[in-house]
Amino acid sequence: MTEVLLLGRRAVREVIRYPEATIPTLFIPLFFLAVNIGQVSETFPDTTPFLNGQGYAAFQLPVSLMFAVATATTGLALVTEIDNGYFDKLLVAPIKRTSIIIGRLGADLVRGIAASFVVVLAGLAFGVHIEAGIIGAIVLILLAAAFGVAYAGFGILVALKTRNVQATNTSFLLFFPLLFLTPNFVPFDRLTPVMETLARLNPVSYVIVGLRSLIIDGWVAKDLLIAIAVIAAMSVVLIGLSLRAIKTYDRN
Amino acid sequence: MEASSREIRATGLSRTFKGGIDAVRGIDLSVNEGEVFGFLGPNGAGKSTTVRMLCTLLPPTSGEATVAGATIVSEAADVRRRIGVALQEIGLDPVQTGRELLELQCGLYGITGAEGRKRTDELLELVGLTEAADRRTKTYSGGMKRRLDLASALVHRPSVLFLDEPTTGLDPASRLTVWEEVRAINAGGTTVFLTTQYLEEADELCNRLAIIDAGTIVAGGTPEKLKGEIGNDVVSVALDGADAAETERAIGALPGLERVVAEGERLHLYVEDGASSIAEIVRKLDAAKTQVGAISVARPSLDDVFLEATGRRLEGARPEESAEQEEAA
Ligand SMILES: Nc1ncnc2c1ncn2[C@@H]1O[C@H](COP(=O)(O)OP(=O)(O)OP(=O)(O)O)[C@@H](O)[C@H]1O
Ligand SMILES: [Mg+2]
Repeated sequence: MTEVLLLGRRAVREVIRYPEATIPTLFIPLFFLAVNIGQVSETFPDTTPFLNGQGYAAFQLPVSLMFAVATATTGLALVTEIDNGYFDKLLVAPIKRTSIIIGRLGADLVRGIAASFVVVLAGLAFGVHIEAGIIGAIVLILLAAAFGVAYAGFGILVALKTRNVQATNTSFLLFFPLLFLTPNFVPFDRLTPVMETLARLNPVSYVIVGLRSLIIDGWVAKDLLIAIAVIAAMSVVLIGLSLRAIKTYDRN
Repeated sequence: MEASSREIRATGLSRTFKGGIDAVRGIDLSVNEGEVFGFLGPNGAGKSTTVRMLCTLLPPTSGEATVAGATIVSEAADVRRRIGVALQEIGLDPVQTGRELLELQCGLYGITGAEGRKRTDELLELVGLTEAADRRTKTYSGGMKRRLDLASALVHRPSVLFLDEPTTGLDPASRLTVWEEVRAINAGGTTVFLTTQYLEEADELCNRLAIIDAGTIVAGGTPEKLKGEIGNDVVSVALDGADAAETERAIGALPGLERVVAEGERLHLYVEDGASSIAEIVRKLDAAKTQVGAISVARPSLDDVFLEATGRRLEGARPEESAEQEEAA
């Protein structure tokens, strides 16, 4: 347990000392928020039914949150460590190997909360009103951060399996289809049939819908629970696989 | 007891990598408690692969080993608690300061709080990094990084310390510093397993050594024994264009001649008494009208041991050349 805390603290320190790794990841979501709103707020005025009286920023905010938390940062930090040899030093220490991953994921949670907080503040500045209130805002931030942690499992998996900086870096590209084959611009029923089918198959859609419900509709148990279930399932699969990957790392 | 006096014992240790590279081909090793054991070999000989197996980082393809009383595969956790490791690639976290890195390292070995801070201070002092302790390791020179890496292998006072090429890439002054530290650590009772490409280093530091080439141990023993097996003196004849076989024939039988090794433009004669042999050699070459270059005599070095065992010199083993070699591989 101590080792998880120690390794987590180190990973947080790394985030703080590498602002150049974190700040660009915040630039993209804030940029999207501003640009999308600027471009489509005429098309979707606050009288649009699915906006429930709010501006389009409210509809976009969850997408920006996803962008803010789903980064390749952790995978990259890990693969860099594998590359420079520090990882071996950790492997040869008398600790559980899984602590190395859990410590990093802890730092992801911290970073995810901080990044989501910034994005929510930006949303508020764009006039977004969070229908579920303060508690809703906190849940929104925590869920977004939890999604980021689950997603980090994917970067870690790629890092451990490929041990290659380039591969880990480009693994981030996978996030674009995952994020854009969703009801990210309009609700499911406004998508073309093909897009709707793809979006309904994409688990990330339900995370966006769940987060969005907190902002636009208040507390909608069904949407929220589905989002939580999806995040939990993603965590189990991606984190589970990366824990297994580190346990079997150089074991044959 | 047998088990406690042998800190490292390996039998038939082998490692084949994917793609069929036989990096280590069934080696036997036995390292006594309290000694500095040298593992000497050229690039790609299998030194690091052996160290990684002994440190539990890489499972052997076959064979077995015990380190500090525990077997490397089934009791890996025990091995890890008892060993300290400084691998060939210096593994430092560039974002942390030297002090933070050591304190974290202490923590990972269960030395926390004030105790961890105290141990960190001691180690910083030991490796002469007290001044630089609060700078990020990214700003350290190669020698400083090496020394910090060494310190981080010592936090828990391991009973066996593995050092994989601890001085490769260091300038002569830094090498001497590391040597002194290794001696001091060993004087404190730690068994040291050290790999090196430098014969001089093995000669200087090691009580016993093994020479590995292409995954196989080709010679082993104390430096004195190894040199003794070669002969007393080595007479080197620069051929300067003369034919090696012809020159050898011209010299013919010589009193106390043990063996002759041709190496490029030189002929090495391992003899009992160098001084008297030179006169004899010169006389015989004159008689045969064979023109050669300079003739010199020297005590045999580990270099000669290596040449004798493998038919090659330990090329590229000069300190200043070898820093970047493993990158290219
Ligand atoms: N992970 C790996 N996969 C495949 N081959 C490897 C791997 N690691 C090492 N090898 C090969 O195994 C052989 C032995 O390598 P090793 O690193 O043990 O040599 P070394 O004696 O430490 O050399 P150096 O002095 O250059 O460090 C080399 O041919 C190397 O290319
Ligand atoms: Mg090596």
